[in-house]
Amino acid sequence: MTERRWLRVRPGSRPTLRDALPALFVVLLAVATLVGGSVTIEADGATDAGATGLHAALDAQGRGRMLVAFDADVGTYAEVRPAVRAAFAQLVRDGASLSFVSLTGEGRALALAEIERLRSGGVEANRLLDLGYRAGAEAALVDATRSIVPAAATGTLADALRASGASVGAFDAVLVIGGSDIGPRAWVEQVGPRVPGVPLLAIAPSIALPQASPYLATRQLAALVVGARQVADYVAIVRDDATPTEARAAVRITDLPPAAFPVLLGIVLTLLVLAEAAARPGAAGTSR
Amino acid sequence: MSGFGWPEGWATLGVWVAAAATLLSWSILVGARRPFLWAQRLLAGMLTGYLALLAIREVLVPRLVAPLVSDPAGNPLAVVALVLGGVLVGSPWLPRWMGAAPVAILVGGTAAFALGGAMVGTVLPQIIGTVPPPGVGLASLGGGLATAVIASLVLIAFLHGAPRSAGMRLLGGIGRWLILGGVGVWLGYLVLARIVLLSDRLAFLGTEWLGMGR
Repeated sequence: MTERRWLRVRPGSRPTLRDALPALFVVLLAVATLVGGSVTIEADGATDAGATGLHAALDAQGRGRMLVAFDADVGTYAEVRPAVRAAFAQLVRDGASLSFVSLTGEGRALALAEIERLRSGGVEANRLLDLGYRAGAEAALVDATRSIVPAAATGTLADALRASGASVGAFDAVLVIGGSDIGPRAWVEQVGPRVPGVPLLAIAPSIALPQASPYLATRQLAALVVGARQVADYVAIVRDDATPTEARAAVRITDLPPAAFPVLLGIVLTLLVLAEAAARPGAAGTSR
Repeated sequence: MSGFGWPEGWATLGVWVAAAATLLSWSILVGARRPFLWAQRLLAGMLTGYLALLAIREVLVPRLVAPLVSDPAGNPLAVVALVLGGVLVGSPWLPRWMGAAPVAILVGGTAAFALGGAMVGTVLPQIIGTVPPPGVGLASLGGGLATAVIASLVLIAFLHGAPRSAGMRLLGGIGRWLILGGVGVWLGYLVLARIVLLSDRLAFLGTEWLGMGR
């Protein structure tokens, strides 16, 4: 065997260009990211209704109490992160309070990072509440419609929520940050019918688009921003709307949405890799 | 201060650790296995530790141990949960039917919530939403009809075991292709999400780590 311990080299063969393709993929993407990083997926004049809808829905909350159901996952959060931070900026600017709850482990880890980011950005402690992690997925959601404020939660916001029933119904709206596991669908199915008076708003990655968009048509979701394009639209609206004071201090809304050039290049390269794999001898549908 | 309230030096260290972990993960691209395995094991170990800590700190202690210690008589459900959890943990040494009981409750409860929610929250409202109200335009009517036809074809594709005529087999075949089309769309969105993630990591290395474009 000529296989070395550190490097994977096929016995009796020299490394070929094909072996270098994955690394070449990343190098090209790196160049595209650094060169074209400022060219974002921008609105083309006709701003998407999803983005304006979320902006209007969050504006309507004013100084209300917002429940942030944070269940993003690390695989898709990069896509929606700019919109999530822009939404926080909008809510903080308008004087809303934010209470975070998570039903997935990954969501909890990301939520903790965002809460800390808001705290270190200067958002007052009495406008932030960590409701923690709730195990049980759908069952936990049903339980949240009866009680969502844990006994350990303290502060004026926690007390005010307890005085209003300490359940999802104590909030003025729910902002669902969806991932590939728990997302808008679970909230619409479990919480929507039980607490119909609380509007559900959502930000979700493009993978959730086919699943979540029908709920917007039936008004089960009051607003939905889904996918990189709508994320870019929404960030642009908030950036134009923001004053350079509290919102910018609280969260950097200059966090840019995914850059268009590397994403486009990535799609082209992915198609090339797929075509190369399909053309290989022994690929599905070809004779071995 | 960093986003986690650490001193500045620690934030820089955090960026370097993140950059090193990213590069270790990507080492497999040039065929280097061992650094990739280090990154893989680091991730697996940290994930296991994190989930264990999450379960202990945010589930077991506040929702099981604390209620049992403070007021066991006032929390009968916590006693039931403790017994079921104990039976589940001890199932390798217990009769099979005993170990099956907590699993059955778990599966049954999850299915009941999921199916009940899907029916009340998705199926019925979406059917109602598909029915066009009187006086709607042709486009809306066409959309509703297309939804009904696609849903019917996909349902026919799931008819297994029953004898079917040639026509039904044809419709079932079309339904299967529609399912494949749906899976293809989902896969496309998944690829897009991963490309954005990769681009985001590259941007992190370029800006946060190397300080380019600041």
